Amino acid sequence: MSDKDLLQMFKVVAERVDKKSFADITRDSVITDLGVDSLSMMQIVGEMETELDLQIPDEDLVEIVTVGDLCSKIESRLGA
Amino acid sequence: MPRNTPRRRIEEQLYATYMEFFERAERERRWSVFDDIPWDEANPEASDDLALCAETFASVEMFLPDYTAGGLNVVRDYFGRAWFQANWGYEESKHSLALGEWLVRSGKRSKDDWFDLQENLLQARQWKPPFTTARQMTAYGMVQEQATFLIYVKHRERARNENDACLSKIYDYVARDERAHSKFYQDVMKVLLAEDREGTLTDIAHVLANFKMPGVDLVPDYDDRILKMRDAGIDRNVFIRKIYLPVLKYLGVSRHEMLAAQRKAIEAQQKATEDATHAAE
Repeated sequence: MSDKDLLQMFKVVAERVDKKSFADITRDSVITDLGVDSLSMMQIVGEMETELDLQIPDEDLVEIVTVGDLCSKIESRLGA
Repeated sequence: MPRNTPRRRIEEQLYATYMEFFERAERERRWSVFDDIPWDEANPEASDDLALCAETFASVEMFLPDYTAGGLNVVRDYFGRAWFQANWGYEESKHSLALGEWLVRSGKRSKDDWFDLQENLLQARQWKPPFTTARQMTAYGMVQEQATFLIYVKHRERARNENDACLSKIYDYVARDERAHSKFYQDVMKVLLAEDREGTLTDIAHVLANFKMPGVDLVPDYDDRILKMRDAGIDRNVFIRKIYLPVLKYLGVSRHEMLAAQRKAIEAQQKATEDATHAAE
């Protein structure tokens, strides 16, 4: 799965969870700056985990600040 | 009256949970506003921001009559939870007393300021329970008390850094109480989960989706105050690391189980909104 695919997946899932547009996101986008609160963030992560059939360890979740951080966590699980 | 009912089973377990909580409160956690606070160690030179924070907390705690009345009414026919609520009211009453006394004794506010604040707040606004059932209010208490505990711990350090041993001690006692309250609510939720896992998870999800701290609607200039309270808020990381994940772990609920409940809660909320819209048309 390419970097672009993951970014697109984040966008689709975030729009589904938060019911608003995330048109201009990049890997550098800070998730809180996008107006995504803690609970939505947990939902987005959970939805992406379900779709990709993987699980990010709980202790890694607090390290996620940007969209890119989340993509990296997923990439490392996909590559494992 | 039938004895072997789910309600009776729950009540017996909650009574035991309350007795355990109350025994620890009586034996290990009691403190006195008169004997245990080092009032002469209040620092008159502490910053105005420190006073503003204490005043904000005192303001939120001041709605105790509403919290107690609202909370008790929801659980009045559940013995263990009703008695907890009564004890909770006693413990919380000391929080606003201690913070108010600090404001006056430190010279940060006059007695008139303190009474003006009480009158202005309670006459202008009233707290209403944000949820309607005992189980939802328990879920709310579980999250709210844990968040409040973390906020007071932060302010205990802030008071310590400003050389106010008195306020630091007050926050220490208050934080300890809030932690114990959250733990009780978590223990209650465990019992409720064991009896009706799906329904209880749905209620937790509903509460999380609609959660806000009580001060938001009660203290008139809350947003301005929050700006000056700097570290007082619970940011995303703290919420996930110190509230969401530990609470789920204690309850024995996985993130994905909670996620499924959240999905259902959101769908139910959307359906209710749609139904209301159709009914209005």
